Amino acid sequence: MRKPYQFALPVVGLSAFLLLGQVAGCSKPADQSGMGTAPAPSSTADQTSQANAGSRLGDLSAFRAIATDVAGIVDEGDLPAAKARIKDLELAWDSAEAGLKPRAADDWHALDKAIDKALAALRANAPTQTDCKAAMTDLLKAFDSLKGKS
Amino acid sequence: MKASSAARPAGWLNKVPEIALSFWIVKIMSTTVGETGADFLAINAGWGQGITCTVMAALLAIALFTQLHTRRYTPWIYWLTVVLVSVVGTQITDLLTDGLGISLYLSTFVFAAILAAIFVVWYRLEHTLSIHDIATPRREFFYWAAILCTFALGTAAGDLATEALGLGFTWGAISFGALIGITCAAWRLGGNTVLTFWIAYILTRPFGAALGDLLTQAKIYGGLGFGALSTSALFLSVIVLLVGIAQLTLDGDEYAQANE
Repeated sequence: MRKPYQFALPVVGLSAFLLLGQVAGCSKPADQSGMGTAPAPSSTADQTSQANAGSRLGDLSAFRAIATDVAGIVDEGDLPAAKARIKDLELAWDSAEAGLKPRAADDWHALDKAIDKALAALRANAPTQTDCKAAMTDLLKAFDSLKGKS
Repeated sequence: MKASSAARPAGWLNKVPEIALSFWIVKIMSTTVGETGADFLAINAGWGQGITCTVMAALLAIALFTQLHTRRYTPWIYWLTVVLVSVVGTQITDLLTDGLGISLYLSTFVFAAILAAIFVVWYRLEHTLSIHDIATPRREFFYWAAILCTFALGTAAGDLATEALGLGFTWGAISFGALIGITCAAWRLGGNTVLTFWIAYILTRPFGAALGDLLTQAKIYGGLGFGALSTSALFLSVIVLLVGIAQLTLDGDEYAQANE
């Protein structure tokens, strides 16, 4: 029989390799241009991101911008267009989960819940202007309530 | 079909693979592929969590049924089942946490207790917990029940580490990688094979998730920014390659034995 215990060596080796690549990647100043948040989700980086963007989750402006956009479309009364646009928020928010959540899990959950409610309002079988507007207002409030915390 | 018990050919009627390097590589990568795949269907394809969960559970039922009715280890069926168990195990935890609001402390504890109970009953009935010789339907039932449970437990424990300790994927990969290293060292120093196997099986779930996040997350979050799609495509290729090799090797052995 082959030795079953050799699995850990490559596992540890692979993570060490990836880590090195990661450290090297982070030290490049060019990488930080994007949204201007801290490069790593470690506790020290959290403090940096707080200083930079005034929210424990870091810079959320890109997400808030989509939400503002959706709220504007709802105000115009074009609910199908708002429904289509909010998917961008859902996709962006979901793909950033692993990066954002460890920074402040409670804040992340609060915002996640508000996004879920907005999605539910816009995706209801018969969405109403009132519900969608209320959900979007709450969502924007949720974004703003996190800004104060740091 | 041969029925001689004395000279049973290697792998004959055993329903599970040997635990070698490729086993762990495929196991770890299947975690990422399973999670990305389910996310893709739920969000990008717009199926929503409800439909995705139902479809995945149905696929798992079919795969498991097929796996339980094969006569011997068939790599592609076995690993397809593992990938689907990985997806469904993750979804069970997510459903409990996000859908029912159950705390991760509670779910981690409950899954650990259920897993322990499975092992106790398994041992009482079979007098072994061997993971090398899964050759009866009852053993195989216990095997898959335990595997489903380790994925749910691994998800809950991994999420708990993220939420309670604020452990990001970088430190997650390091911590769980180190724990796997310790488990391996314990095994080499004479630790119990079955126990260390299951501990490693649980730990590779959050390790695989952290590793996947490290590759897929954007650079501004400290990831390598490869994107979920390319990472999954890469991992899936490696899985298909390794499982394909296992399948062809096995088929080759069978052919050779048939011609002896």
